[in-house]
Amino acid sequence: MSTKASRAAARLMISPSVILLLGWMLIPLGLTLYFSFLRYNLLMPGDNPFVGLENYSYFLTDPGFTAAIWNTLALVLGVLVITIGGGIVLALLLDQPMWGQGIVRILVIAPFFVMPTVSALVWKNMFLNPVNGLFAHLFKALGLQPYDFLAQAPLLSIIGIVSWQWLPFATLILLTALQSLDSEQLEAAEMDGAKPLSRFWHIMLPHLARAITVVVLIQTIFLLSVFAEILVTTNGGPGYASTNLTYLIYVQSLLQYDVGMGSAGGVVAIILANIVAIFLMRMIGKNLEA
Amino acid sequence: MGKITLSQVTKSFGDVQVIPPLDLEINDGEFVVFVGPSGCGKSTLLRLIAGLEDVTSGRIEIDGAEATELPPAKRRLAMVFQSYALYPHMSVRKNIAFPMKMANVPEDEQARRIESAAKALNLTDYLDRKPGQLSGGQRQRVAIGRAIVREPAAFLFDEPLSNLDAALRVGMRLEISELHERLATTMIYVTHDQVEAMTMADKIVVLRAGHIEQVGSPLDLYRAPRNLFVAGFIGSPKMNFIEGQTAAAHGAHTIGIRPEHIEVSATEGLWQGRVAVSEHLGSDSFFHVHDTGLADVITVRASGEIGFRHGDTIFMTPREDQLHRFGADGLRL
Repeated sequence: MSTKASRAAARLMISPSVILLLGWMLIPLGLTLYFSFLRYNLLMPGDNPFVGLENYSYFLTDPGFTAAIWNTLALVLGVLVITIGGGIVLALLLDQPMWGQGIVRILVIAPFFVMPTVSALVWKNMFLNPVNGLFAHLFKALGLQPYDFLAQAPLLSIIGIVSWQWLPFATLILLTALQSLDSEQLEAAEMDGAKPLSRFWHIMLPHLARAITVVVLIQTIFLLSVFAEILVTTNGGPGYASTNLTYLIYVQSLLQYDVGMGSAGGVVAIILANIVAIFLMRMIGKNLEA
Repeated sequence: MGKITLSQVTKSFGDVQVIPPLDLEINDGEFVVFVGPSGCGKSTLLRLIAGLEDVTSGRIEIDGAEATELPPAKRRLAMVFQSYALYPHMSVRKNIAFPMKMANVPEDEQARRIESAAKALNLTDYLDRKPGQLSGGQRQRVAIGRAIVREPAAFLFDEPLSNLDAALRVGMRLEISELHERLATTMIYVTHDQVEAMTMADKIVVLRAGHIEQVGSPLDLYRAPRNLFVAGFIGSPKMNFIEGQTAAAHGAHTIGIRPEHIEVSATEGLWQGRVAVSEHLGSDSFFHVHDTGLADVITVRASGEIGFRHGDTIFMTPREDQLHRFGADGLRL
């Protein structure tokens, strides 16, 4: 791929996919931007006048906005901490030779195959329900008052549900990373007098740094847009206690039929996601180099 | 300081016994080389001594003290691995400091030892680089540096030169030999390359399928191999083995003659054959001779001036005093 002709041919041949991708992303983005400057409510048909930043000012001063921002951040950070911490522990355990390893590994991966709506429903009805849920039975068996998770600690419950879904992903990535660690390095550390904990801290954890980076980046992208779990369990409530940005946009645009407002919210979400992405790349992106 | 004794040591993986009962004594300050074909158990034996594998039965003593159950770190042995096993995220300095950091050696003492190790191994300019930025030979030296600073009772080398190119290998071979002269510490060195074994060892241990076939100085092994296996393994090119009538004439089942102990001539000699392949190295020439009626191929070594070509007839005369005679059981007579 070094002659002029071959480079030109390469450009020509990848151009359809590039153009398709660009169109795929730019047209919706452009339309969203355009709608966000219009007064465009489906309940009020008629012309859609240009109103400048009116939608943005309404969205940003919405009483749910600040709550939604903090909830989004708490959700992302909470799930990241739980999945990476738990993922490392599970990966270390699954890396040990044991009986029935293959089956155990498949079981661990299983939650990732359950679609978010279903897993949220299962959690809501079978585990967290204050009357019939397993936890309620457990509490009653211990002589305690059943705890209404979704009403008392809605955000924590959702963090729990989402963590359960994403734990297998983190475990899988970290396990493969752990398996790629040269066993001679661990043996060398053992010869050098490193105890198991120091071996983990000085050898394994640095080796996992890149995999952890990948998990953080990929999960952040998906966790910023958690939606189904909230819709199915708490509907963002009580109040705004479990409303994240995605859910707020849904409430604004679809429940109120306000296309302009929803688009403005979407643009705000894009900007926030990019701010988060820039921070992430600054902090941990260097792990991906070299 | 570094006397290691193995008595009746065995190792099994499941039902497979890779090391049958084995006794071995390694004296203080010796350079011992374990050599054998791949899969002969030499690396396993080294890992047993290191403590990275548990012995199935038997005893290991280091300096007269029982070490069979000791964890690797307590045995005061340092190991250099085939892959070097450097810690990729640490600088050279931190790599070398790691064993001392784990042993809580004071900072200034650490710095002093790193300094002297780096000087001895020509690493001073590279101390702040990462292993990924070093060449193979430099990485090897870092691995050795990491071993030196622990001031161990013995060094264990597991095929340390097999990842280096030929020229570098010769250089590192010399460096390790020099290191041994300077430190006078016991070294155990595993290799499948008999040239490394011959050039470096005070004592060679030839292993096959976990058995010790022979222990001795390089020249002992070259001059008086105890059996056919050692005879064929030590020396390059391999010793020629001849069976049948010719051997019977010498009162043996098999006779062995090294390629360098056969005189060649174009006109007369005891054996006659046809040159199949000739390898000219400049200083020496090797001829692979077919159709001798003695063995499939007889290899001879002659000085570089002698030039036979493919298809030439060649006459060969073995030096009677250099014949090795082996019985039907493969043992030296």
